Amino acid sequence: MRSGAAARPWAGALLALPLLLFLCGLVLWPMGRLAAAAFAGPGAPALRAVLAAGRYRTALGHSLLLSAAAALAAVALSLVPAWILARERFRGRDLLRTAISLPLTFSGVLVGFLMIVLLGRIGAVPKLLELLTGRPFLASLAYTPAGLFLAYLYFEVPRAVVTLESAFRRFPWELDAAARTLGAGPFARLTRVVLPLAAPALRSTLAITFSASMGSFGVALLLSRRFSVAPLEVYTELTGFLNDAVAGALCLVLAVMTLAVDRLLGGGRE
Amino acid sequence: MRIPPRRIARQTGIAWTAATALALVAPILITIWGAFSHSEFYGQRSEGAPVQGTADLFRYVLGIWGEALLHSAALVAAVVPLALLLGAPAAYAFRRRPFPGARWLESAALAPLALPGIALAVALIETAGGAPRFLLLVAGHLAYTVPLVLKTVGNALSGFDPALESAAKALGAPPVETTRRIVLPLLVPSLVLAALLVFAVSWGEFNVSFLLATPLLQTFPAALYSTYTTNSFPVAAAATIVFLLPVVPALLAIQALGGEEFHRGLPA
Repeated sequence: MRSGAAARPWAGALLALPLLLFLCGLVLWPMGRLAAAAFAGPGAPALRAVLAAGRYRTALGHSLLLSAAAALAAVALSLVPAWILARERFRGRDLLRTAISLPLTFSGVLVGFLMIVLLGRIGAVPKLLELLTGRPFLASLAYTPAGLFLAYLYFEVPRAVVTLESAFRRFPWELDAAARTLGAGPFARLTRVVLPLAAPALRSTLAITFSASMGSFGVALLLSRRFSVAPLEVYTELTGFLNDAVAGALCLVLAVMTLAVDRLLGGGRE
Repeated sequence: MRIPPRRIARQTGIAWTAATALALVAPILITIWGAFSHSEFYGQRSEGAPVQGTADLFRYVLGIWGEALLHSAALVAAVVPLALLLGAPAAYAFRRRPFPGARWLESAALAPLALPGIALAVALIETAGGAPRFLLLVAGHLAYTVPLVLKTVGNALSGFDPALESAAKALGAPPVETTRRIVLPLLVPSLVLAALLVFAVSWGEFNVSFLLATPLLQTFPAALYSTYTTNSFPVAAAATIVFLLPVVPALLAIQALGGEEFHRGLPA
């Protein structure tokens, strides 16, 4: 096996050649051109416009804030379901797991629509509240920043549960048991054993949910009214103002921010 | 009667999990109900008289979005085999025939997962805007689906003993024979899983497709956006069901093969 691999190092390279050509031609080259265009001109005016105070930077800030908040909230909400699905046996567990991972395949527009169904102008929740209290509370919440946050949670919670569940399954519980045998209390075990061991999984879950939100476009396209996020601003620049240079620079900054946080959190994609 | 705290914790946890599942499924159930009920609960139909009854509703949806449905089907039909052809041999090379730069190539191939779809769509338009849009759509979808093939097939290759291949070789089998009779049969489950994942992702992809779509070449998710912004609730609900019909069986099959963890990292 080893000798075979050593004797024909070109065999592996040959097998991966189509992938290499595809990546260079249709991912790296276009992204490189995008970066070059953003830096084009004396003083890189497009990039400067994006980074200067104003609507572009506001949109980037909104994206960052919304994605970070939704990622943290999604991980917090998902710890218990992931734990239960990984550790407990009970009737209906498979059904619950299927229900929770169903939205993994939904595109952003679909999530946006579901949020309108729940919390739109005549959504199900306000309608129900009207039946109960006589007033349609929470109507049109879907179109506010809070609604956008809930929509992001909707597609992030399944991602977080699935990621954390597979981490909890591989968790070395015998170390926790050993700490208990050695006399450690619940708090000491949580802070000195469980959390340090779970930290990589938590970080990679945050990375996954964060980058899913940073790139999400369909949800905001359908729901956002005044609260702009970066992908939406790219779309407006491109189709509304035909401002390719600024759209490209915005894309570049968005991509760099997303990839940087993803790396910072440890890649998240083993 | 005292209930042990361990049991209370367990029951609370299960209730929490059930509540999460319910919150995620409720809007889908309401949507399905919306397509099959004819109450005016959700307001007037904007389409006028022709839509009367469920069959009529779906006929109407297929009438306006039939072409988008065909485009999505053609796109998926191109993306699934191409993703497997690009990804599977490379995954084999990364695990069994490492070459200089293989690690770099693998992480470059996985990087698009953290790359906003709209950025890649803009880059593709700026670089190759003159190329047929269908080809750009295929390229954009491949960038997000090849990583799935690399992960599933790579994972399967890590799971079986390379000694099986060495044994075949030692017994005199030529490489082609080893691949055909040893490697491929062992990889079949992971290839099926990869194909299902690529299908599910490509069918629902919006971020890349929406910008690359043209008025004459819309994918079904892009058509969904039009429907959500212009049509009445029953029509939008029916279109959503048409979208979900192929995805849900694929998802159930993915779950049966234990593969849901492979597409957790995808952009939404």
